[in-house]
Amino acid sequence: MILGVCRRLASGLVTLLLVSWLAFALIHAAPGDPLTSGSSEDERWFLTLTTEHQAEIRALYHLDEPLHRRYARWLQDVARGDLGLSFHDRRPVREKIGERLGTTLGINLVALVLTGLLALPAGGLAAWRSGGAWDRLSGAVVYALYAIPAFWAALLLQIVFSVKLQWLPLYGLISDGGERLGILARLVDRAAHLALPVVCLSYGGLAYLSRFVRASLLENAFGEASRSARARGVGVARLLFRHGLRQAALPMLTLAGFVFPALMSGSVIVETIFSIPGLGSLFTEAVLQRDVPVVMGLTLITSVMTLVGVVAADLGYLLADPRVRRAPG
Amino acid sequence: MRCSGRPLRLFPAWILLVLAVACSRAPETARATRPLRAGLQSYPASLSLIGNTDRNSEMIAALITEGLVAYDARLGVQPRLARSWDVSPDGLTWTFHLRDGVRWHDGAAVTAEDVVFTVEKVRDPTTQSRSYLSQFQDLVSIEAVDPLTVRARYGTPYADALDSWTLPIIPRHRAGADPDLLTGEFSRHPIGCGAFRLKSVDPGREIVLEANDGFWEGRPALDGIVLRVLPEERTAFEALLLGDLDLMSVTADLWREAQVVPRARRLARFVTYPLSAWYIGWNQDGSNPFFLDPGVRRAMVLALDRTRFVSRVLSDLARPAVGTWHPDSIWFDSSLTPWPFDPAAAGTLLDESGWRDSDGDGVRDRDGAPLSFQLMIAASSQEMTGRIAAWVQESLAKVGVRMTIERLEWKAFQERRSTHRFQAAMASLHFTPIPDQFELYHSTSRGRGLNYVGFRDEEVDRLLVEGRRTFDSRARLEIYHRIQRRIHDLEPISPLFHFASPVLHDARLEGLEPSPRGIWLIEPGPRRWRWAPPPGGD
Amino acid sequence: MPPGSARRLPASLVSGAAVLLALGLIAIVATPLVREDAYRVDLDSILSSPDWSHPLGTDGLGRDLGARVLCGARISLTVGLMAAGLSLLVGLPLGVIAGYCGGIADRIVSRCVEAVLCIPSLVVALALLAAEPRWLGLLPDFLRIALVLGVTGWTPVARYLRAEFLRLGESDLVVSARACGAGSPRIVARHLLPSALAPVLVTAAFTVGASILLEAALSFIGLGVAPPTPTWGGLLSEARYHVSRAWWLALFPGLALFLAVLGCNLFGEGMRDFLDPRSARRP
Repeated sequence: MILGVCRRLASGLVTLLLVSWLAFALIHAAPGDPLTSGSSEDERWFLTLTTEHQAEIRALYHLDEPLHRRYARWLQDVARGDLGLSFHDRRPVREKIGERLGTTLGINLVALVLTGLLALPAGGLAAWRSGGAWDRLSGAVVYALYAIPAFWAALLLQIVFSVKLQWLPLYGLISDGGERLGILARLVDRAAHLALPVVCLSYGGLAYLSRFVRASLLENAFGEASRSARARGVGVARLLFRHGLRQAALPMLTLAGFVFPALMSGSVIVETIFSIPGLGSLFTEAVLQRDVPVVMGLTLITSVMTLVGVVAADLGYLLADPRVRRAPG
Repeated sequence: MRCSGRPLRLFPAWILLVLAVACSRAPETARATRPLRAGLQSYPASLSLIGNTDRNSEMIAALITEGLVAYDARLGVQPRLARSWDVSPDGLTWTFHLRDGVRWHDGAAVTAEDVVFTVEKVRDPTTQSRSYLSQFQDLVSIEAVDPLTVRARYGTPYADALDSWTLPIIPRHRAGADPDLLTGEFSRHPIGCGAFRLKSVDPGREIVLEANDGFWEGRPALDGIVLRVLPEERTAFEALLLGDLDLMSVTADLWREAQVVPRARRLARFVTYPLSAWYIGWNQDGSNPFFLDPGVRRAMVLALDRTRFVSRVLSDLARPAVGTWHPDSIWFDSSLTPWPFDPAAAGTLLDESGWRDSDGDGVRDRDGAPLSFQLMIAASSQEMTGRIAAWVQESLAKVGVRMTIERLEWKAFQERRSTHRFQAAMASLHFTPIPDQFELYHSTSRGRGLNYVGFRDEEVDRLLVEGRRTFDSRARLEIYHRIQRRIHDLEPISPLFHFASPVLHDARLEGLEPSPRGIWLIEPGPRRWRWAPPPGGD
Repeated sequence: MPPGSARRLPASLVSGAAVLLALGLIAIVATPLVREDAYRVDLDSILSSPDWSHPLGTDGLGRDLGARVLCGARISLTVGLMAAGLSLLVGLPLGVIAGYCGGIADRIVSRCVEAVLCIPSLVVALALLAAEPRWLGLLPDFLRIALVLGVTGWTPVARYLRAEFLRLGESDLVVSARACGAGSPRIVARHLLPSALAPVLVTAAFTVGASILLEAALSFIGLGVAPPTPTWGGLLSEARYHVSRAWWLALFPGLALFLAVLGCNLFGEGMRDFLDPRSARRP
């Protein structure tokens, strides 16, 4: 068991290396010079530099070295915990990521919790009265939700709640002057701003999770396996809470491991639409500006988080399903 | 709200909580004037004022510090830190006489040493002073003759050298202490000698400025300026409507919306035309058979009904452009007018160039090859780019020209354009207040300049060089008028529109002046802005 | 159910197929009819709300939105199908290898799956779409996008197949086949693939839906098909700029997207229910 875990972690490390090398190669495959960013004035500047000057600046960013040397340099820095300086504004990458990490993680976690809170009763009720009106209705609704693209949902929600009804703010994280409000008011303000983005992130997972809860509960609490228990007179409610949920919890956690990386990538679009300064928008900017250190740093962090999710999911399967215990991937 | 002092046990806990929250609200500012709140599209890449510059850093530099000279609203040059200057007869040496009594925000005196230091820093490529470096390339030497006199020597006489002296000056005793200007202490807490001083920053989010009491011209009327980063203009617009923002440049769509939305009625508005033009460049280096002929290039523009596009789609917030000299500047040749919408004339020109529809498929051809080319555009956050391209495509189809659109990501677009691998490219062009457009039109600017289309004309080349060397303003005017007329005839690139930059602001804000340089980068600019006194006194 | 009797087609399968067929038919039949309207610029009626002459309204250049949504169907569906096909082409053999052979092959493939899962698709999309290897530049826009989606979208296919093959590999069927002396390729081809075909088809249906969404997402951030060609994602990204003025620009293209994805999901789920009733209890 321990050996299995260690091997799994080691393989995760291999994947990380592979990912980082791929990302490095890909970002350099795209055309464009990180030094001539943005506007035509910048072009003017770089073009009028003498070749010696251009070479000097290139050397400053180690752009004159071959690809593998730069990659090796990056690896060495990372091993020491240094993610480098952004090409764009020379701020430490760690700082740039740090100030946005909280936002993105926060939104995704809230979305995840919301999903779980809604999925459990929805799926549970559907399983309890399986075949009944709620089951069919919720099944259909949830199914429809799954098919809605996030950006469409975002646009529609904006139109309905922000433009037409004007209940919720359209963009951003806080209102102007929000920092000066008291704690409670600030929380309310933050919640109002995050309401729509969180809804956008959570409805897809809701569909998935509630169906799973339903299926899992059907099998464990209402299915054949528990028939004997029910025959002995154990109440359904009791079964539900003590056995069914406990058994469903583990697969649910592993599922959360899958849903999390999807949330992280889903954030990119939601953050763009709602102008939330999170990792997603930082990433998009960095890629478009060819800000290699930031791209690499972000890839590393999101990969770690994704891998944590995947490894957790795999370990969960390991514990739950003995058949898959052969040769852990 | 007063916090009650009654014994605690007479109140349930939750009432206390509510009171605590209410009491924790910050008190309303009791001052008569409040800071001006404006939005920034993005946080400046560096606050070092001269390093790694972009538009936002220029704006902040103009607020915090000063240059030797500055432009006014009509693009005339005004003395600032330099109260006067003279040029040697050979045109190579400029001598600036600095104003006495100007102080940095920390009290030290502004001297010629600071000027010399700033110029040396700018010329250091590691500072990445994009906005200013190219202007000092030709500088041979600069010295502080005495604490109030700067002497700059150039390699070749250049009439527009004065433009580079709008450079924001930074203090040597502070910025000189940092080993790396871009990441050092100065870049975190820059100081200057301008009308506003830096009060605080929230990196990535906000920059707060306050009025400088010791400003040499007198304290500005505004008590402070708060610059918030609002990358999405919709966010900024909403903030403006709510009263959380006082001032904003908007796009055509938002301007239109502001005409009808009730909350926007209280806002004042005006329009300024910045130094930019939206243009299509026709690659005439011979790699395609279409654009070597000026007649063909002109025909393309004649096929576009620009006036109609401006009135229907752009809400009259643009003007058809005629050249790359700003129509509101003194250098513009007002005898030139934009090419009209004349598809018949376009057809004739194309016929004369040998492009006729010989096989009846609706597309002109010549020697068996169809007149079909690809327009390259850059993917951008401006949805208008795609719309204009689609409109051009439709318009050209009506005169028998087939155009396809290729949209590239910005860096890829730049790469293709600078390596001349395109047939036609559409983008915006930003120009400077000076009349010299050497980098755009001179034949040697093909590899090292902005002459992406490979334009080459002997007379234009000659006139451009002459214009740079001529110091007499009347003679210069004549030269640049001739250049404009010739280029108008040859149409190497087709400027389509000058887009307006409409500004919406709180009606109580007074003193704003429209100018081609915008509202921030001119003299007096923000130094004279003020809040109107509330009616009835306070 | 008594063996041998025909199983009823699940409602989801039928409805999904119906939706997809309808969309496909519209894409093929209606598109040539409305193509002109989709591109005709009419500067006098820009951003006009739905009325008799333009049932779904017009966009920022006065082009009929309904026509553009219909034309968008063709591109979006084509890209979706091609991307799904490519994903299958890559994912199928990899999944089979990982699931059946196990050991080193499995480890390598699993590492690749994870790596692709971790790499942000934006980086991949950018490199492939912006980079200019000559052969890539010659492909039309939508093919390039399909390529990108296919290259990044094969992971669910591979994972699913691997899991299936792991499961089937230890089934009695295979054990007895091996006992009879059948070699590996034969086992794979004659015994495993047919049973695994069912999940493959199911995955294909879901992948089409996912690819359509991804294409829309790419168009949304501006890396999609060039203007003026309409795609659903491109139409939605245009709608962003007119959120406060023209709600119809956001509603209808998204509705079309939604229907297409819904159809694919219904079809996939229905197929799964049909081919393997046991899996009805697994999500």
